[in-house]
Amino acid sequence: MKDIWLKRWVTLSLILLTLTVFVSAIEASPFDNILKRWRKTNVYNDMDGNLTISLTYYSSEYIEAFIQSEAEKNLWTKDETETFKYNYLQSLQLNEMIPINVEFENNGPTIYPGPFDKMIEMKVGNKSYHPADYDKRLNFKFQGKKEGLVYFRRFDEKTGKDLLDGKDRVTVELSSGLSSLLNGRSPRFFWDIKNDDPARLYTGATGARLETDRLLKRLEKLRKDKAEEEARLAAINNEIATIQARLDELAKGQ
Amino acid sequence: MKKFMAVLAMVAVVAFAAPALAATNPFMDVPQGHWAYDAVGLLASRGIVSGYPDGAFKGAQPATRYEVASVVARALVDIDASKASKQDLELLKKLVMEFKDELDALGVKVDKIDKRVAVIENRLGGWKINGNMWFDAKFASDADNSVNTYNSNNAKNEFTMAYARIMFTKYIDDNTYFFWRFRADGQGDLSNWWSDRFFVNTKLPYDINFRFGRQYSDWEGDAGLYHSVMGDNEGGLWKDFKYDGFNFQKSWGKVDAELLIGRNDNFNDKSSIGGAVAADNNYGMTYGLKLQGNFTEKFYAGLMGIYFDPDNVDGEYKLQQYGAYASFAFTPAVALRGYYYWQDLGKDWNAFDDSPKAWSAMLDIKQDLLKFTSLYVQYVAQDNAFVGPRAAGVYPAVYGSAQNAPGITNDGTNKTWLITAEQRWNDKWSSFLQYMTTDWDVTGHDDTKQYMVGIGYQYTPAIKFWLAYNAIDFGEATNNKYNGKESVVLFRTVVNF
Repeated sequence: MKDIWLKRWVTLSLILLTLTVFVSAIEASPFDNILKRWRKTNVYNDMDGNLTISLTYYSSEYIEAFIQSEAEKNLWTKDETETFKYNYLQSLQLNEMIPINVEFENNGPTIYPGPFDKMIEMKVGNKSYHPADYDKRLNFKFQGKKEGLVYFRRFDEKTGKDLLDGKDRVTVELSSGLSSLLNGRSPRFFWDIKNDDPARLYTGATGARLETDRLLKRLEKLRKDKAEEEARLAAINNEIATIQARLDELAKGQ
Repeated sequence: MKKFMAVLAMVAVVAFAAPALAATNPFMDVPQGHWAYDAVGLLASRGIVSGYPDGAFKGAQPATRYEVASVVARALVDIDASKASKQDLELLKKLVMEFKDELDALGVKVDKIDKRVAVIENRLGGWKINGNMWFDAKFASDADNSVNTYNSNNAKNEFTMAYARIMFTKYIDDNTYFFWRFRADGQGDLSNWWSDRFFVNTKLPYDINFRFGRQYSDWEGDAGLYHSVMGDNEGGLWKDFKYDGFNFQKSWGKVDAELLIGRNDNFNDKSSIGGAVAADNNYGMTYGLKLQGNFTEKFYAGLMGIYFDPDNVDGEYKLQQYGAYASFAFTPAVALRGYYYWQDLGKDWNAFDDSPKAWSAMLDIKQDLLKFTSLYVQYVAQDNAFVGPRAAGVYPAVYGSAQNAPGITNDGTNKTWLITAEQRWNDKWSSFLQYMTTDWDVTGHDDTKQYMVGIGYQYTPAIKFWLAYNAIDFGEATNNKYNGKESVVLFRTVVNF
């Protein structure tokens, strides 16, 4: 009896292995697997239709592959590619946020996703975080397609520490109450980010432009702080002068 | 000159203030028949919004998106909630959504409006209502043995409400919601409406998800260990079931755990325990525990166990079922999975073997890889003494071919091959092919073969049509009802709202 089972296992394994090798050999576009790795898709079927949810984590590998694939598709020059990269990185706000693109295709009962910031959370280690900002169109009820960016803070509000420092996984979870198609399951997506290095995006001309933007912003803030501090100092000086003048007056009177 | 400066100013607004990813051209004309004109006018005529300049859109020229958006922005300054119905609020939301980019660029805080609308909506009760139905029309061929088994009462043709459901969801607070689903199916008056889901889901301290009430478990489906077509959620050997009870879920980063404690399950709905227990409501305790390790993005594995303990029948009818499974993804589009299940049955089951086993291996290839089709190949071997569904009976969406399956008193191992290929041609059209064959490994039960082809048309996200052809060959079985060949054409209409 055992021999028959073993034989069947071996036969089946060989068939599946052959099929796997065959399909793995089919050539995909060089960026395809990278883009798909970071854009995770879950499909939920039930009697009442199907719901496809895709979430994209913007790792440096994904962004580089996306920019290169767009450049190839549109036959861009190096300058055009750099301009696109600059605009793309700016819209993602990677230096302050962890953006996640959320896509739905709902061929099932209407989804009422609002308020969406209560429907989604990011987990890093044992801590959970709600979005700092998100595309408000994700609040509206819908059937069919819907897409929007959700931003989580990259830095801890109290300590200022990078939330992903030393972490190897980011998990994003949606509420099981989003759709009856989920049958009580919470859609969960995770990405292993141990080798992700967003800093490598900020090199070259785009990096210089973004750093210039950042420094200008910081300079502006420092100037504003300086003006405020100067105003406060002037107010204190005025008060000192007033008090001193009054003390002088009082001293004269005695 | 003035006009030119205005256009220039508008261009500057778009260039610097519009969101970087905005896709709509704000200067594009809104066609004169566009719903937005009527929507704003309607809301104004009911006194729900003010600040709407009468006759703003009258004239020969169609307005640009910016012009319409500015009128919407002015109209939204003062919403009179007391006069607004739910439909009015939906209309407002629709307007805001349609012109979101332009409103953003005009400096109107869409999130503030959205918050206000959400508050007003909460005052209306905050209940979310959904529903759906499947309507099936089946036309069967003449069966070889002159007995049609596709339809009820051996009828040749059948029009039936496969499912009709209505669902209510209410968010009690940010972390807690209540869900209630009613369902009916069959022919005639559909007088038997019942609640097949009725639960509250909430978050406990330590990030534990807690659900209580009438709920559903499908651990095999959750782990991706079966695959069905045409929206049918049946499949697998572990068996999905409903129960009344408590469910706890907790994730520790790489390890997920789920614990269930329940009663009144319908795990064993096909073969009630010795005929002593109502098939759809097994009176007994149900305990289950599942642990899944998500070790990397490519590899996960899990262990699960479930224990059914009927307490209203005399005799040893306990059933323990255990499973181990694993999945490895070679690429994001190619995964190999497998499971091994075993049972421990009480002696009064009178099964041929009181510790039957089942195992399966499957290859799951997404359409992303082959471009024109997905491909799903699965092999299942199941001891005939294994209590629960047969693979041949749960996979096809039109008709299960396990009607001539041997019972648990038989020796042998049934073996099923399942091949499914699905093609999504575009957002509207899809098609599929499915082939399945089962060797029952018992004298008197011939091999069963079944194939199905079908096309689907997603008319709108709410409405889908299916047309499928299914043919089955029971072979030369000794059972007179289930032998020979039969086929059926199915036309299914699915509506969701």
